[in-house]
Amino acid sequence: MGDYQLGEFEEIVLLTVAVLYNEAYGVSIKQEIEEKLERKVSTGALQTALRRMENKGYLNTRWGEATSIRGGKRKKYFMVTPFGKKALDHAQESRQKLWSAIPKIAFDFGKQ
Amino acid sequence: MANSSNHIDNSLALRLLRRLIKPEYYEDISGDLSEQIRVYQISRSGQALWLWREVILLLHPMLLRPLFNFDNFKNSTHMLLNYARMASRQFRKYKMNTAINLIGLSTGMAACILIFLFVQDELSYDQHHEHAQNIYRVTVKNFTVDGELSRQWAFASAGHAERLKADYPAITHATRFFPWAFPDLQHGDQRFPGEPVIFADDDVFDIFTFPFLLGSPETAFNDVFSLVLTEASAIRIFGNDWEEQNLLEQTVKLYARGEEFNFKITGVMADMPDQQHFHFEYLAPLRLVAQAFGEGTMNNVGGNYNWLTYFRATPGADIAALTESSSAFWEKYLDPIRGKSPSEFYQFEFQPLTDIHLYSNLEGEYETNGSIDQVYIFSIVGVLLLLIACVNYMNLSTSHFTRRLKEIGVRKVLGSGKSALVTQFLVESTLITMLSLPIAMILAWSALPFINDFVEKTMTLNVIDNYLLVIALLGLLIIIGLIAGLYPAFFLSRLNMVQSLKGKLSLRPSRLNFRSVLVTVQYAVVLGLIFALTVIESQIEFIRTSDPGYRKEALIDLPLSRNIENLETFKTELLSSPNIESVAYSSRIPTGRLMDSWGANFFRGETKVDLDFRLPGIMVDEDFLKTYDIQLVAGDDFQRQMDTFADSIGYFVINRAASEALGYDDPNEIIGENLSYGVYKGRIYGVTENFHFESLHSPIVPMVMIKSSSRLRRASILVNTEDLSQALAHIESTWADFDNVNAVEYRFVEDRFEDQYVQEQRLSQMINVFTVIAILIGCLGLIGMVGFLIDTKTKEIGVRKVLGASVANVLGLIGAHFSSLIGVAFVLITPIAYYLMNGWLETFVYHIDMGILVVVVPVIIVMVITALSIGFQTIKAALDNPVKSLRTE
Repeated sequence: MGDYQLGEFEEIVLLTVAVLYNEAYGVSIKQEIEEKLERKVSTGALQTALRRMENKGYLNTRWGEATSIRGGKRKKYFMVTPFGKKALDHAQESRQKLWSAIPKIAFDFGKQ
Repeated sequence: MANSSNHIDNSLALRLLRRLIKPEYYEDISGDLSEQIRVYQISRSGQALWLWREVILLLHPMLLRPLFNFDNFKNSTHMLLNYARMASRQFRKYKMNTAINLIGLSTGMAACILIFLFVQDELSYDQHHEHAQNIYRVTVKNFTVDGELSRQWAFASAGHAERLKADYPAITHATRFFPWAFPDLQHGDQRFPGEPVIFADDDVFDIFTFPFLLGSPETAFNDVFSLVLTEASAIRIFGNDWEEQNLLEQTVKLYARGEEFNFKITGVMADMPDQQHFHFEYLAPLRLVAQAFGEGTMNNVGGNYNWLTYFRATPGADIAALTESSSAFWEKYLDPIRGKSPSEFYQFEFQPLTDIHLYSNLEGEYETNGSIDQVYIFSIVGVLLLLIACVNYMNLSTSHFTRRLKEIGVRKVLGSGKSALVTQFLVESTLITMLSLPIAMILAWSALPFINDFVEKTMTLNVIDNYLLVIALLGLLIIIGLIAGLYPAFFLSRLNMVQSLKGKLSLRPSRLNFRSVLVTVQYAVVLGLIFALTVIESQIEFIRTSDPGYRKEALIDLPLSRNIENLETFKTELLSSPNIESVAYSSRIPTGRLMDSWGANFFRGETKVDLDFRLPGIMVDEDFLKTYDIQLVAGDDFQRQMDTFADSIGYFVINRAASEALGYDDPNEIIGENLSYGVYKGRIYGVTENFHFESLHSPIVPMVMIKSSSRLRRASILVNTEDLSQALAHIESTWADFDNVNAVEYRFVEDRFEDQYVQEQRLSQMINVFTVIAILIGCLGLIGMVGFLIDTKTKEIGVRKVLGASVANVLGLIGAHFSSLIGVAFVLITPIAYYLMNGWLETFVYHIDMGILVVVVPVIIVMVITALSIGFQTIKAALDNPVKSLRTE
């Protein structure tokens, strides 16, 4: 097992990229997060996370189409790599382990 | 809206982003931003602010370009290596060109290195003392009744040091230096005649930093009969193994004026560094000599300027204010003079220690000082030489641009940008500079012994200890590499690509191209240097040939010692040899300075006339005028039998200037009038023609010669030069008969005369050398350039010849080009050079006028040099058969 480091915000971004599947690029990811999670995302924070995960190998990129509202600039689409998937699995598993380790009584607030 | 977002690329925020962010990220991120402006419907007015916020948040290290990219670095080293390889091919292919560049650059750099060493040495004087910034020398300015500065010596009076220290809290330490009149030193059987022992106050070690190799400054002067040696004198007396001889328990004997003293050795100091404005070999406590001199001398504050005096002030002390407040000093210790405050006649000048070497040139300086002017002149010359060398390089590499056209073209086609080309040519110039540096170092190193000899220094080319030199050398490399390379780099990289590939480009023949400017600059520098040299040489020639008004040949100046008591018999003894023609005694001799001016009154008939000018005088005997061959214009020479004190009548001979200053244009009329001068009262006996008692730097001032039998400190001996060695031997043996303690020391008056102009001689020789270097470098450039000029004009010459031009026409054509450049340089430089050299000439009261000759000579020299250096190639081109040149296509 490799070392899958994934920050909380990175995990959200990675999941969102997976959610959007073929349509994940800067603006769509940002909108998606803002809509689903109701939190503000700056382009800077998003891009930093994306590029970091790209460098780690969690994400692949491909150039997309240019549109006029983008000032003629191409989109860059992001896709989750198998390695990225493993990282997501790992994150989920770790949490699951922790969840399952919680004794029932810990969350049984009514009886305390 | 869509339109507006298209333009965010040009906003400042995005331009900044583009600059900073990794290039591969820019496109989609900027696209995202412009899309978001649309998606979030950001208003036009809020757009800029929003963009800035987003851009600033984007400045994350993750997204930014690295400051140092190793991949790029690897690429650029490959490119640099490639440039270097190309450069070395160029160097090898055009050997002549490379040689010219190497010689030019290395000579210029060598001269610069030497000048740097000289300037560094001059500027480092007295800096090594720990308290250097707080040490000052006390000098006294004396003023006449009219408030004119009458004298300022490097010395102060004996009473100044302790009084200044006591009265002014800012002055914490003070010392005087007083030289003992060269006592003999004896240690065991060895006797060392005439050793330079200096007396100093106890404070001396708190003021100056004299590191002790043996003993300590605290205990050095505990005993009155203490003697501190320097390493050099310790070695002289005790030999190289002095360290093993326990010197602190040794004594030496000093003999002076028949007395014998036992001195205990209390310490050995390191030798004083060359960069110090005085050098002593022995220090002894001044307390000793103070007793001998007595209270009167030691408390003197208004004269007897024999005491080199220094003080150390508290750090940050306001010396200007101290000087200001020192007028109170004079009022405290001196009585009013002629009803006026003594501070009107005396003023202190406190000279900062570190300024003495370069700025002070007073009468009685302990050693010959340097001059700040010289430092400036050499620095400027150094910069000029570098300029010429750089210009040379620029000229050569741009004039041969045709050779590079194809290469540049290919590089451009292969995608080389302008900046890459610029880098390439800069690499080339830096490389040739780096190659020149070792040659320059070798040149400088081999020239250094001669330079040292000439400027009387012991400079070394030491790159290990002298870190400033290393910095200077690196700076030199970078500056020359850049200056020499920058213009060619931009010039060559700007060439039009398509045309360069065809290899056909010749620059539009504009009259004022930069290259002409460069050659003009070179000509201007050379013209200016030759101009300066011509003026200096003419002035020196003028001095040498001008009649000073007295005889200076075959005359020997012999300063007398106190042991020679009977001057009369000494003279008789000297004259007993047939090789000695005449002997005269005087207090001072021509080639010296006129310093002593006493109170004088002139009587026109019975009426007393106050003198409104300074009237310095010298004491002479009856043989003075005869020996020096000074012409009388009126009256008579002194006679032997005119005893001045018997009938209390003095006899004076004045010069024509004095006669005129007293209102007698006809010197015959002043003969027999009464004059009182100090203690002497008597008649004016004769008037001499004006003569240059002082150097030509000073005007001929009114002066008086008094026949006297006292104060005659020097003998002037006219010898027969036919048998000079006999004459000198006779003088030496006669001296030994009268004084067997002091060695005889004499000099030729002619040498003393030359010494007055030693600064000018030195300046002339230095400028001479630099001019030759400048011309050499300049010629190299010309040879290189004219070759190119002819190359490109071959066809033009051919066509002209076919159409009937003669060889002379063709020569004239090329000559005219250079003549016009020389003409422009001449017009530019002449006013500047004229102004500067006029300033230099003004330092002489008697000087040449810069006639048409000094203006024309440099131009002629430069023309001739140009003709010589370009002549061969030009004539060859002109003589060539036009058939050959026209076929070249």
